[in-house]
This record gives sequence, C-alpha cells and structure tokens, in this order.
Amino acid sequence: MTTSEPTTTAGKPPVVSERVVTTRAARANAHIGKHAQTIAIGVVLVLLLIFFAFSADRFATTGNLLNLLRQISPTLIVAIAMTFVISTSGIDLSVGSTVALTGSLLAIVLQHGWDPTLALVAILALGALIGFINGWFSSYQNIPPFIVTLAMLSIMRGTALRATEGYSTPIDGDLWIVQLGQGRVAGIPVPVILAVVVAAVGWITLTRTPFGRYVIGLGSNGESLRRTGVNTRKVGLAVYVLTGLAAALAGVLIATRLSSGSSNAGSGFELEVITAVVLGGTSLFGGRGSMLGTMLGALTLGVIANGLVLLHVSPFYVQIVQGAILLLAIFANSKVWARFGAVRK
Amino acid sequence: MAPADGAAERTVDRVVMRDIRKRYGMVDALRGVTLRVGPGEVIGLVGDNAAGKSTLMKVLAGAVVPDSGEIVFDGQTVSFATPRDARELGIEMVYQDLALCDDIDVAGNLFLGREPRKAGGLLLDVARMHRDARQHLDALNIRIPLTDIPVGGLSGGQRQAVAIARAVTFGPKLLILDEPTAALAVAEVETVLELIKTVSAQGVSVILITHRLQDLFRVCDRLCVMYEGTLRADLDARATSLERLVSEIVAHDQIDSGKSDAGKADGRKGNDTTEGARR
Ligand SMILES: Nc1ncnc2c1ncn2[C@@H]1O[C@H](COP(=O)(O)OP(=O)(O)OP(=O)(O)O)[C@@H](O)[C@H]1O
Ligand SMILES: [Mg+2]
Repeated sequence: MTTSEPTTTAGKPPVVSERVVTTRAARANAHIGKHAQTIAIGVVLVLLLIFFAFSADRFATTGNLLNLLRQISPTLIVAIAMTFVISTSGIDLSVGSTVALTGSLLAIVLQHGWDPTLALVAILALGALIGFINGWFSSYQNIPPFIVTLAMLSIMRGTALRATEGYSTPIDGDLWIVQLGQGRVAGIPVPVILAVVVAAVGWITLTRTPFGRYVIGLGSNGESLRRTGVNTRKVGLAVYVLTGLAAALAGVLIATRLSSGSSNAGSGFELEVITAVVLGGTSLFGGRGSMLGTMLGALTLGVIANGLVLLHVSPFYVQIVQGAILLLAIFANSKVWARFGAVRK
Repeated sequence: MAPADGAAERTVDRVVMRDIRKRYGMVDALRGVTLRVGPGEVIGLVGDNAAGKSTLMKVLAGAVVPDSGEIVFDGQTVSFATPRDARELGIEMVYQDLALCDDIDVAGNLFLGREPRKAGGLLLDVARMHRDARQHLDALNIRIPLTDIPVGGLSGGQRQAVAIARAVTFGPKLLILDEPTAALAVAEVETVLELIKTVSAQGVSVILITHRLQDLFRVCDRLCVMYEGTLRADLDARATSLERLVSEIVAHDQIDSGKSDAGKADGRKGNDTTEGARR
C-alpha cells in the first residue's frame, strides 16, 4: 500500500489533501483486491472458451452450450448457497449426500403415488431440515462445521442407500415434475432458468440486504458482530438451511433429468461446489464472498468437464483436473490475491 | 445521595450494578463489584491490568453474562442476555479490542446491527448509509476521507475513531469507553475528551477506562479503582490527588487487602454517601 505514496515533507497544510489521495489509492487498491480474483477467473474462462471452440468442433454449438449450462445448473444453485456458508467461514460437506437422499426419496414417494407438488414441497422441506440440523450443531453448539457436515455426509448417504437398497428408482415420465429436469421454456432448459433466478436472488441477498452484511460480518469477526446486537447464531444457522434447501433442489433437478433417483447420485458433488466457490474468490477464512465469482467458477468447471469429454479425454481425468484446480485456487486465494491489500488476516 | 451538579432529577441513578460476580474457569474476574453511576456523571474506572475493568463493563453492555449480581437501569431491574438488550436501553460501549469487522467498510461498521433500510426493510439503503456516515463523522471531527473502504485498511487511530463514532452516534444514555484513546494522536485525544464533556453536559452518563491518569482529572466526576476483581475505592475526582490515586491503584496496603476488600463490599454504600456529601 505504500508503493505510490510520496512521503510527506514536514509542512503541515498539505497533509489533509495528501491523505485523501492516499486513501483514494487505498480504495482503488481495495476494490481491485476485492475483484482481482473474479476478473482473473473471468479471463481464464474466456481463454478456455476460445481454446475449446477451436480444438473441439462440436463445442461452440448452441446445443452443446445449452447442454453445458444445464449440466452445471445443480452445481451453480448449490454453489450460490455455499458462497454464503463459506463467507461465514463455515463449510458444508453434506450437500452431495443430500442430493442423493432427496433424489432417491423423490423417486420413491412418487412411485408410492404421492402428488408431485406435495412430493416436491416435502423434499425441499427435508433439505431445509437437514440444513437446520447442520446449522444447529455448528452454530448453536459450536461444533466445527467440518465435522458436523462430514458426519451428516455419512448419515445421508447411508440413509439413501438404505432407502433404495442400492437400486435406482425410475420416475414416471408423464408426471409434470419431470419437466423440472427435462423441460424447456423458449428453448432454454428449465434448470438453467432456475439457476439464473437463484443466482440473481443470491447476489442481491449477499450484497444488498442486512442478512448478507451479517454473513460477511460473521466470517470477518463474529464476536464483533455479536456485540453490535446481531443474533449471530441465527445467521450462522440460516446459511446451512440455505445449502440444505439448495441441495434438495439440486437433487430434484438431477433425479428428474435422469428420470430416476439413485443413491449414488452426487458423489463428489460437494467437492465440485466448493471448488466453484473458492475458484470465484470467496475466502475459505470467511469475510469475503463473491457471487459473480461463484458463477464464473461454476461455469469454468463446467466448460472444462464438457470440453475434455468432447476432446475424448478419459472422464477419469476430469476428477484429477478438478482436484488440482481446487488446490490451485486455494493457493492463489491465500498467497497471490492477499497481496492486493484487501485482506488483512 | 446528594446531587453533585445541582440537577434535581438525580433522584434516580442512571445505573446501579450490585454485587456482580463472574468467574472464568480458575480466574475470579469479578468478586462482587458494586458500582453506581448518576445521569450525566463521568466515572473514571481505573485499576491494574487484569483488575477486571473490561469484564465489568462487558457485563454492563450485555456482552458478558455475569454469574450473579443485579443491574438496575433507570430504576428498573434489568438482565441482559445479549448486547442487543443493552443497546436497546441506550447503553453503548467502545470495546478495548474495538469490535470492528475488518472486511466491512467504514459506513457499514458504523451502522452494523442497525442499518438504514428501504424496500420495506428488505434491502440496505447503502446510499443513505454513506451519506449519514459522512455527516456523523464530520460532526465528531473525525477525519476519515472515505466511508467505503474496509476498516481493515485504516490506521489504528482511525479504527478507534470509527468505534467511538459508532457508540456515540445513536444517542446513548450511558456511554462506556474502554481505553478509547490508547491509539489516538494528541489532537484526537483532545477531541475525545471534549466529546465526553459535551455528551455528559447533555445528561449522558459516561464510564471511561484509561491508563492515562492525567486525562481522568480533566473530565471525571468520580474515580473508581478496581483491584483484583473488587472495587477498591470510590473517590471524588476533585478532592483526590494523583499520588493518592496511584497508591490506590498499586494497592499500597496490599497485605490486608483481602480482608478489607471483603469488608468494603458491605461498606460501599456508606462510602458512596460520604463521597457524595463531600461534594
Ligand atoms: N473470556 C475470558 N476467558 C477467560 N478469562 C478471562 C476472559 N476475560 C477476562 N478474563 C480474565 O479476567 C481477568 C480480568 O480481565 P479484564 O480484561 O477485565 O481486565 P482489565 O482490568 O480490563 O485489564 P486491562 O487493563 O489489561 O485491560 C483477567 O485475569 C483475565 O484473564
Ligand atoms: Mg481491559
């Protein structure tokens, strides 16, 4: 921060104006620091798009791009919610298992003849309940969310396996709910529309509402926030309800897209979601979150997966690449971007 | 209790803390402290490091829940489960560690927990927040040119100024300042001392914790000395010399302090009366 700051000579009057100049620079610096990683991931995304457009012939077709967007919609929806959790310096590892459980249960209750609307509401409520349990243990009982959600990961996956006995359950293609995963409005897949709506609401909530403020404050300095009179436990719990709810919606989208609920769905999903969030510049230590970054991060992951498949690279490499990206993103997050002065940890 | 500043409404104390106790594991932070503050009165709370000053004030601000004891605010017995309860009654505190969120900007920190809203309370009124923040900072003579930079990027003194502004801005009835001038330059310290005089003249009660003893004599009505979790002395600021204060703080008659402290807990009310009468 001292780079462009000319040292003041002993004279007194210019001090004030000089101060304004330095703080303007500091502000610019802070703003760049805030958005540097978002800009960087945007650049990476554009480069990837150009690369795949030239190397894989079918990549740059409308059909493929819409398909790509539909594929990443569940990831994006949960990543938006996860941005809140990670901004509070929390983590939710149970989202993948929740996807499996909610997808399986949806298929099962539909097979038992439940009304699809009722089934949808019940599944979403279940997701919120799972999030509530995560939040209650981590926020009200101060148990590290890493452990709480790791335990829930196991419990949910086990429940899904038990409920389905390991088989996948088909969903009747005539039910309206299948349109959630397979339908299109004006040519655009329904999951994409839902993801865009969730992203917009998430962005406004994080940047423009008191709740978003408190989420950032909680991750920045929870005790300070508490002392200003904010009910920090409620905020800390609410973010897990958001991820639970988002994971349930993702579970519904995935199951209806495949017309079947499987207890093996969503394996590695949590890793994908967390990678998207971290890639976008949200700090794992809390206090800094970027919704735009999360969107770009999810898009980047989707483009890589889709492009590699089109290039006939073995799908096994996709996992390796994703893990490597997560590691790189965290490294950049804590080492490179910290230089821009916005973070003082 | 005789009114000191001739104000007739001083029949009711602004706040009375009675026999407050708090233990942290093996540390007895507060061992039965009784403290009263009148409206518009400025109390200097002094004592050695770890005497329990901050803990006592956190109890009063609702940030720490005491093990036992009673707090009476404006004649009503109150109990604070959260800082919000205390803030709603008009108790504001500048914490020793400032309690700012580094990643949130100046205006955001100033209004944290009571942001101006629009759209039926759903959205933050960010524009108004910055406008009002500028007004409040200017009114307090605080020189922070921009209100939209994260406080993590401010100097220590500027951060302290933001914390003070936050406490003063919302018209408190009782203002608690825990070492508010520790990081401030000479001119800024003067500003804070002036501020204390101004608000106390308007009837705001002030409790000031500081290790700058010379400041205490300039603004305080009474000096309360804490020692190892007890209130050791309650002195009239105008009738006390610096030497006397220092000897109370370092506890010259330490040998029998354990016994005399226990005795003082009962005798304190009498002590208060004599102090009051002396004025
Ligand atoms: N959260 C806590 N957990 C454990 N012990 C604590 C806690 N807060 C305070 N204490 C202990 O209580 C005692 C009083 O601390 P306190 O901060 O009130 O002292 P103080 O008078 O404000 O000192 P200073 O002048 O250094 O600020 C200390 O022994 C401290 O270790
Ligand atoms: Mg202290």
